[in-house]
Amino acid sequence: MRLSPDDPVIRSEFVGDPEMEGIVFLFVSELPQRLEGIQSALAASDWERLRTLAHQLKGAAGGYGFPQLGSAAALVEQGIREGCDLNVIKSRVGTFCALAARVRA
Amino acid sequence: MTSSPLPKVLAIDDSELIHRLLRVRLQYEQLELHGALDAAEGIRLAYELRPDVILLDIEMKGMDGFEVLQRLKADVELQDIPVIFISATASMEDRVRALDLGALDFVGKPFEVVELKARVRSALRVQHLVKMLAQKAQVDGLTGLWNRTYFDRRLGQESAEAFRHQRPLALVMCDLDSFKQLNDRFGHPFGDMVLEQFAKVLQGGRTSDVACRYGGEEFGILLPHTGGTEAFEVAERYRRQIEALEWPGHQSLVVTASFGVADVSTAGRPVTADELVSAADTALYRAKTQGRNRVVAATEYGAGAQR
Repeated sequence: MRLSPDDPVIRSEFVGDPEMEGIVFLFVSELPQRLEGIQSALAASDWERLRTLAHQLKGAAGGYGFPQLGSAAALVEQGIREGCDLNVIKSRVGTFCALAARVRA
Repeated sequence: MTSSPLPKVLAIDDSELIHRLLRVRLQYEQLELHGALDAAEGIRLAYELRPDVILLDIEMKGMDGFEVLQRLKADVELQDIPVIFISATASMEDRVRALDLGALDFVGKPFEVVELKARVRSALRVQHLVKMLAQKAQVDGLTGLWNRTYFDRRLGQESAEAFRHQRPLALVMCDLDSFKQLNDRFGHPFGDMVLEQFAKVLQGGRTSDVACRYGGEEFGILLPHTGGTEAFEVAERYRRQIEALEWPGHQSLVVTASFGVADVSTAGRPVTADELVSAADTALYRAKTQGRNRVVAATEYGAGAQR
C-alpha cells in the first residue's frame, strides 16, 4: 500500500526503549503477514479466524506501542461478535489495514 | 551454598505476541517464566511445574480463562497458586467474577509495564507467605519437628503406599520417662530444654525417617521402607543416645525414654494406620510397665490391642 503525504507514519510509543526494540521490529515485520491473514479470512468469510486474528492484535498491539492499531482491531472483533452487517465489518477491516500500512518500526 | 530456586511464573494466553512481550518485559525480574498457548496445555503445565504465580488470559478460544480458573481452584494441589487475570476488554462484571472465582488480582491489556511487574511481585510475596504458613501449620513450635496434624496425614499416606506396593513400613512411638517429675523438680524451662534435646536426637536419625511430636512428651517416628527388626535397632540407638545426654548443671541426671515398635508385616494381614499406632502404643505401654528405658516390639495388632 502506498503512503500519501497526508498519512503520517505511525511509530511505536516505545521508540528508544532498548528492551523493546527487538520485539517491536519483529512485530512490525510480521504485520504484513497478519494483514494478509485478515484479508484472506475476510475474503473467505471465515469469521472465526478473522475474530481470532483481530482478537490477538487487540490484546497485543498496545503492548508493542501501537494502541490505535489495538483499538481498530477491537472494532473488527466487536463487529463480528455482534453480528454486524458485512459492509460494516469490511469497512472496519479497511480502517485497520490502512492504519497498519502506516506502521513503521 | 546453593541459592534458592527462582519462583516460577506460568503465563497462559493464546497469543504468541503476548508471550513474546512478557518474556521481554519480565526478563530482569527474579523469576522463571513459562508459557502455555492454550488452556489444556496451561493446566498440564500447572501440574508439572507447580508455578508460584499464574498469569491467565480471560478470553481464549475453546476453554476460556474462567473455566481454567474454576478447574485450578477445584484442585486441592493447585488451588493455592495465586492467579492474576489478564484481559484486554474485561468489563467490571468480568473482573468481579474472576475475583469471586478466586483470582488474586487483575491486569488489563495492554500492560502498563511497571504495574505488571509490581502485581507479579506482589503475587509472589503472597505465595511466599502462603507456603510459609502452610509449612508452619505442620511444624511443632517448640521442637521444630513435624506436628500431630502432619503425622496423621503422612501416616495415612505411608500406610496406603505400603499396602499398595507391599512395602515395609514401621512406626516407633516413644515417650520420655518420668517427664512430669522432671518438670516438677527442675521447672518447665528445663522440661522444654529436655524436649528440644530429645527432638534433636530424633532429627539426627536417618534422613528418610519422619520424626513428629505426637503430643506432650510423646513422639512418633515413621520409618518408610523399614521392617520391624531394623526399626527396633533404630529405636535402640535413639534410646542409648538419649540416655547418654549430659545436662548442664545436673551432672548426675540421666533422662531416659521408652519405645514401642510396630510394623506392617508382623500382623500377617493388612494393618490400618490406626491399628499401627495402637500396636506401637501398646508396645510402648509395655516398655513402661516393664521398667522404662527400653524398646519393646509389638506383638498384638488390631482392635484388641489396647492399653
